[in-house]
Amino acid sequence: MSDQSLRGRVGAWLEDRTGYTSILHEMLNEPVPGGARWAYVFGSALTITFVIQAVTGVLLMTAYAPSSSTAWASVYHISFVMSGGWLVRGLHHFGSQAMVVLLALHVLQVAIYGAYKRPRELNWLFGLGLLAVTLGFALTGYLLPWDQKGYWATQVATNIAGTSPGIGPQLQTVMQGGTEYGSLTLTHFHALHVMVLPASLLGLVMVHLFLFRKHGVTPPTNADLKKVDKFFPAQVWKDLAAGLAVLGVLFALAIREHGAPLDAPADPASDYPARPEWYFLPLFQLLKYFHGPLEMVGTMGIPAIAGLYLVLLPFFDKKPTTALGPRLPLLAPLFFGIVGMGGLMFAAMSSDAADTKFQASRKVADERAKIALDLASKGIPPGGALEMVKHDPELRGRDIFEKKCAACHVLGDIGDRAKAKAPSLDGWGTEAWILQMMHDPDAKERFGSTPFAGMMPSMDVAPKDPKDAESFKPMKPEDMKAAAVFLAAQGDEPGEASPARDTAQVEAGEKIVKSRCTACHTYKGEGDDSSIEIAPDLARYGSIAWVESQVKNPATKATYREKALSAEYKGHMPRFDEELSAEDAALVARWARSHARSSSPVAAK
Amino acid sequence: MGNERDANEGRRDALTKLVVVGSAAFGCALAAPAAVFVTAPLRSGGSHGERWVKTVRVTDLTEGQPKKVAIVADQRDAWTLSKDVELGAVWLTRRGDAVSAFSVVCPHLGCSINAETGNAEAGGGGFGCPCHTSAFDGTGKKVSGPSPRDMDALVTKVEGGFVLVDFRKFRIGVEERQEIG
Repeated sequence: MSDQSLRGRVGAWLEDRTGYTSILHEMLNEPVPGGARWAYVFGSALTITFVIQAVTGVLLMTAYAPSSSTAWASVYHISFVMSGGWLVRGLHHFGSQAMVVLLALHVLQVAIYGAYKRPRELNWLFGLGLLAVTLGFALTGYLLPWDQKGYWATQVATNIAGTSPGIGPQLQTVMQGGTEYGSLTLTHFHALHVMVLPASLLGLVMVHLFLFRKHGVTPPTNADLKKVDKFFPAQVWKDLAAGLAVLGVLFALAIREHGAPLDAPADPASDYPARPEWYFLPLFQLLKYFHGPLEMVGTMGIPAIAGLYLVLLPFFDKKPTTALGPRLPLLAPLFFGIVGMGGLMFAAMSSDAADTKFQASRKVADERAKIALDLASKGIPPGGALEMVKHDPELRGRDIFEKKCAACHVLGDIGDRAKAKAPSLDGWGTEAWILQMMHDPDAKERFGSTPFAGMMPSMDVAPKDPKDAESFKPMKPEDMKAAAVFLAAQGDEPGEASPARDTAQVEAGEKIVKSRCTACHTYKGEGDDSSIEIAPDLARYGSIAWVESQVKNPATKATYREKALSAEYKGHMPRFDEELSAEDAALVARWARSHARSSSPVAAK
Repeated sequence: MGNERDANEGRRDALTKLVVVGSAAFGCALAAPAAVFVTAPLRSGGSHGERWVKTVRVTDLTEGQPKKVAIVADQRDAWTLSKDVELGAVWLTRRGDAVSAFSVVCPHLGCSINAETGNAEAGGGGFGCPCHTSAFDGTGKKVSGPSPRDMDALVTKVEGGFVLVDFRKFRIGVEERQEIG
């Protein structure tokens, strides 16, 4: 009857030509002595997760472009422009972590059940090979987005490879495709990630499964061996349930995080608080404890000993029993290793959580990532994402300020307040800052730590020298206010939002500045009847032109005069037109000025 | 015994169904985002709407004589935004105050159409495609050859002495003019 149906006829036709039913029966009816168990699901869950990784990986490949100028941009495009891209990348990202977690559980289950013992030693070794391949996937995949996180974390791994005895440097150069990271590093890692490692994994899995089928499961000692389940459906439904649970968790994580994180584009010139993915944290933490000649103990010694222990375990464990008790001494290193790894991971996380410096640089990195994503949404130039970031006035301005200005100046969260040798730029050029300057010019956050300390007198506090104090006439508060308003207005630029200035005050202030301040200062080059020749010109004080001129060369008379660069005032601000391009000098001047004027000065004590 | 065997059979059937349903659920859960992702290009396209591109000065055009003019504007290719690249070209012809514009892309199979200087009767020279000899008159109308439709006319306007063209692209090889993203 059934043979007459279409399905039956097609089945018979196929069976004649392939013998598929016997293969299928062989696969599905495999006996599971002692019965199906949840403990056996980890291998299958790993296989299923690998299928998820393969499917999402191929999808990502359709849009990913491995080169230093396109990798970040294409990952941005996948994550934020292509429909469903965030979900596909999120599944792949969390899938890789699921692989590592499931692997650990699989190894533990096999170890506890004694499934590595004779005659299964080789299968244990193939399993260890799969573990290495999976970690290789994790390592190579982390670099591919070419963002700061992957770039800097992976550097550590390749640098460790570079310290291998003998062939280290050659090994590193070959891996990276050169002595430094670049497009060839990406094409290498990409080829490993999408061809070499998958092919190795498939080969190893095939042998692993073949050997597993040959020897079958290793039931616990208390199992009722008379109970025999067939692989299908008794074990299959449990395996599938585990696979579905994994997929469900991946969906939940991907949706909660809305995909996978993408840091700012890789920038070889930046300083970045590099941390590996969480499962590599124990190794990362280990590196902190070994220095100098001992370094290799942490980078290679301990991992090599751990690997060797795992390789040798089935050959040392010759006791015929699979009961856990008698094997505990031999398994102790494994359990201690796991506890140790947990401890190291906790130590790494808690030291980062307590490290305010790390937290601060993490915050800066996150801020940069946000700006980069923002910029990318307006289109990425053909030169790539790094070029885009480098040409952004905000990021580039901050960058130059950090490199050139922050050794002496402080502005916002940049620079070291304790070590600052130049005035704090918080609120510089604002009315409040100028008032503070007129009142107490030698405060630490103004001229106090500079070679100009003691050069400018306070306008409302009598000098210490009683002879000078005798002739001192404090400036009236309303006059100080007017002068400050006038000077702050000197920095206002048309087309820029400035605080409202009272015209009457500006006019009054102008008179005061031109009569009193020009005793030492110049205004448009006029004034200064002292012979000190150090006080700066006050015309357009705080304007873009004033700051730019000061950055390029503080001794042009547009700001300070020749003496500002003389040896007499050693420690003075240097000229930067010799080390910065004209564009960069203009850019950092604008950046610093706008951030100074939009912040508030340090509160007076 | 028989009852137990029946119960086992029933359990096996139920589990088999569970596995089939579970596998289907797994497949669908993975296939759904895959399908959305793979078909993303279908959703990212669509018409640009108007895209006015500044070309040459009106005074650069000679009355009745077609001039091939490059269309230079910003181009978005996946993630890359390129500034001021040649997106294509148009034939501009001035007749009095009016300027006509035709896409240089032949509606037949996409070759680049030439101006034929030879037949200048009936209000200016015509156009011809060098690939499969489609011929068009000076107003873009198809005269002979395999082209399924007339040349694709584009809207123009003159602002500040410059000719602006609303640059668009059209599907090749069909009778009806259809804009493509």
